Amino acid sequence: MFDDFNAMMPWVVLSVGVLFTLLVSVIRVDSTKPAGIAASVTLITTMFFAWKMMPAAPLHPFHGMLEVSDLTLSVLVFLSGSGLLFLAGASRYLTREGLHLSDFYHLVLILILGASVLVCSRDLLVSFISLEVMSLPAYTLAGFRRNDSRSNEAAIKYFILGGAAGAVFLLGASFLYGATGSMDFGTITEWTRTHGGRQPLFWIGHVLVLGAFLFKVAAAPLHFWKPDVYEGAPVPVTGIMSVIVGSSAFIALIRLLHLPDLLLPGWMEYAGALRALFRVLAGMSLVTGALVMITQKNFKRLMAYSSISHTGYLLLGVLATFSDPAAVSSVLIYLFGYGLMATGFFALLAQTEGSADSSVELVDVTGLMKRAPLKTVLWTIFLFSMSGMPFTIGFFTKLSVFMAAIGVGETGIVILAALCTVVGAYAYLRPVALMVMRDSDPGAGSWSTSFGSQMVAAVAAVAVVILGILPNAVIHYLKGIPLIH
Amino acid sequence: MESSSSLSFLLTLPLIGMAIALVVPKAVQRLYAIFGSLLFLAITLYETAGLVCAKTGSAAANFVAIHPLVWVPELGIELSLRLDTTSVWFVVLNALVGLLAFSTRGVWFRKNPQWFTAFGFFLMFALNAAFLSEDLVSFYLAYEAVFIPMIFMTGIWGENQKASSVFRFFLMSFLGSILMLVSIFYLIQLHHAEAGVYSSRVQDLIRTAGGLSGERRLLTFLGFFLAFAVKVPLVPFHGWLKEVYVNAPTPATLWMSAILSKLGIYGILRFVIPLFPMEMARVQGILVAAAAVSVVYAALLAYRSRNPKALLAYSSISHLGFVLLGLFTLKEQGISAAIFLSIGHALSSGVMFYLLSQIEEREQEISLDAPHGLSGTYPILFGALFVGMLASVSLPGTLNFTAEFLVLNSSYSTSIPATGIALLGSVLGAAYMLKFYQMLGFGLSSKQETNPIPAVKVRDLGGWDLLLVMVFLFVLLVAGFKTGIFLKGN
Repeated sequence: MFDDFNAMMPWVVLSVGVLFTLLVSVIRVDSTKPAGIAASVTLITTMFFAWKMMPAAPLHPFHGMLEVSDLTLSVLVFLSGSGLLFLAGASRYLTREGLHLSDFYHLVLILILGASVLVCSRDLLVSFISLEVMSLPAYTLAGFRRNDSRSNEAAIKYFILGGAAGAVFLLGASFLYGATGSMDFGTITEWTRTHGGRQPLFWIGHVLVLGAFLFKVAAAPLHFWKPDVYEGAPVPVTGIMSVIVGSSAFIALIRLLHLPDLLLPGWMEYAGALRALFRVLAGMSLVTGALVMITQKNFKRLMAYSSISHTGYLLLGVLATFSDPAAVSSVLIYLFGYGLMATGFFALLAQTEGSADSSVELVDVTGLMKRAPLKTVLWTIFLFSMSGMPFTIGFFTKLSVFMAAIGVGETGIVILAALCTVVGAYAYLRPVALMVMRDSDPGAGSWSTSFGSQMVAAVAAVAVVILGILPNAVIHYLKGIPLIH
Repeated sequence: MESSSSLSFLLTLPLIGMAIALVVPKAVQRLYAIFGSLLFLAITLYETAGLVCAKTGSAAANFVAIHPLVWVPELGIELSLRLDTTSVWFVVLNALVGLLAFSTRGVWFRKNPQWFTAFGFFLMFALNAAFLSEDLVSFYLAYEAVFIPMIFMTGIWGENQKASSVFRFFLMSFLGSILMLVSIFYLIQLHHAEAGVYSSRVQDLIRTAGGLSGERRLLTFLGFFLAFAVKVPLVPFHGWLKEVYVNAPTPATLWMSAILSKLGIYGILRFVIPLFPMEMARVQGILVAAAAVSVVYAALLAYRSRNPKALLAYSSISHLGFVLLGLFTLKEQGISAAIFLSIGHALSSGVMFYLLSQIEEREQEISLDAPHGLSGTYPILFGALFVGMLASVSLPGTLNFTAEFLVLNSSYSTSIPATGIALLGSVLGAAYMLKFYQMLGFGLSSKQETNPIPAVKVRDLGGWDLLLVMVFLFVLLVAGFKTGIFLKGN
């Protein structure tokens, strides 16, 4: 029993930290500083414990319901680290918008806890519970701007649709249980090895389970909720959704995808059909994301469609795992790179005050070069990185998924992705053009910079460029992480 | 084999120049840029002198290579540099053109000049990296990186329609190059499937490309070829060129015309022809025809241009058509003539754009609609422009004449009609350049009619600006008479 807790030490630390932060925020209602400090300390301690445990031989504590391995520990470090950066970048924004409540901090911690447990889950029920632990704070955070009708709309929309997705997951899980007689991933995989591939009940369950996560990562055509939710939610929350919720949902999606051993000869037919489905989803996400992105005027909606197109690129990496499970590293590299640039980007976005109605439009950065050259450099680095320009991490993230997909013969969809990259580049360059090529506009937005958010953006930008020139360490590390134990 | 440290100098020095540019005071930026690029040119010439003068025929002795630095071992990306008797010309041209662009005068040295100098040095770094890379992925990275300074130079110091022009330029080039990237990945993965290791070196991929089946090889070939055809550009792919040449600040246009277009030539020469010799031979007829059409069509467009920059832009396409015609003969003589003409075109178009920037600095509005009569006001400048024009229309005695002659000579045996059409372009070239010179230099402008003698003595070309132009023109003329120096190297 204690061994189990010992193995899960970083998660235990995080859980205790959640309770502690909750307690602090209840005791010190007058100030938000204590809760912020408690949350930061929790995340740093969690990262420290997780870091200390690596490299770890895979362990399966709590009767094999959870997995502690290099993958899950790395993801925990990544999620906590980006959570920490988001918290550091958020405080000024929250104060400015009149949203600075202590509740923000423990809600973010609960979200990170859910997201990190989701990644180590090896049991359908644990997956469901952690999915909900991750989602409930996300719904609440999306509606954090209580007096804004769009924020309320975002919360309600996200809640109802997310709830439906959760229900779909449960339905799928019950089908899987009905077919295999187990909730445990290991047992289910064993079952697929001993049973032939013709299992309609299993197929339906599996597709439903995957569907719930495809909804979470907003693969087109299940993306419709994303723009509205992104627009309505406060900026740091939008960032947290796109990095933390997105990353963990993606890794969970891949783990669930490989529940049946797709390389088994008997499962070829099913794997082929599933692969065709994913190919369509990837293509639709790429095309929808890129095409709709170029018409957007609002930064958060732009980022929503941008993240839909990033989902498309990530699905290329997922496609590669069908015949080469080691290709999962390409997805991990992409998630890491995207997390880095999105963290910095949202920190910058949180600094920007729109001229109208507390949302930042593209025109609000007009002529930024004249007023704040350094900020322009930071914006440009992140936007270039998202479009995949050389000497940014964004180039290597695209390179890794393209290479992985071509390696398994998915050349057609890669060509489509390459074309979408060009369309997307236009959308990412438009704000840069506004910043650099126009004279400053008195009607444009203004900034409220804090040391924290400036540091977050600067650190992320430096990392994006340095890793864009020397990506060795990251690629080497992430290539060494196997997915399935 | 020479010492290989020289090659890393060619990459690190521009980066150092870029870093220093950001801290040099604004008032002395132009001085710094000129001295920096002059120093870089001197070092480039010193380091490459051995290869430029190499007269021996054996290919093995004629290159410098640096031991590959493993960059991303998991993906087989290396930083292996190689300088040989072909790439050495482009590296030297890069340094020469950099000096010329930094010697221009204009708003870019008044408004945020430190950024201009920094972008310029970065561009020189990226170009050198592209010309030296032996590895396809690092070549692609450098090739793409060239866009970054171009976008910003046009965006910050460009003219009215800079935004739309830069988008068109970027998106069309990016469309071509990203498909090349997919082709590169395809070859790398095939090589990996065959040999079990990741490698993106050209030598390794040549074998892989040779083993491809017909349809796939054609598609991969198109991925590569279209990227460079857009970059040069070859005629159906030239839609981006005029707008961006007209709207970009003149040094950026100078860079694009003189050296960025050579990047496309270099790509075809270095990668497309060795990787896909069979495909090139298969579509040779189309390519030769396209090159000949390029020459004439662009010359016609140049003739009816009203903007001097647009005229020079189209003239650039027209001359590059000759270069491509030489390359597409796929014969040693034609290819070396094409390299030779690239050098001539880079020098002459560089000088022409440089002199145009000097005119623009002195006169506010210049168009080819009405005569300006400027030769009386600036006799020295227009004397230099005249010599530059002679080189540009490939008059005998200039480098361009000899090179164009050699190109036509070798294309004659490939396709007589194409050679004939291209010759027509040569005649048209004289027509539009004469019009260009006539409208700017001769006749009386309305301003002069009302006020025949300018009240203030206007400054003619002089000092460093004049010296630089003289050196370039001198090189063009000497090379025209003593062609042997160049031909032995190849």
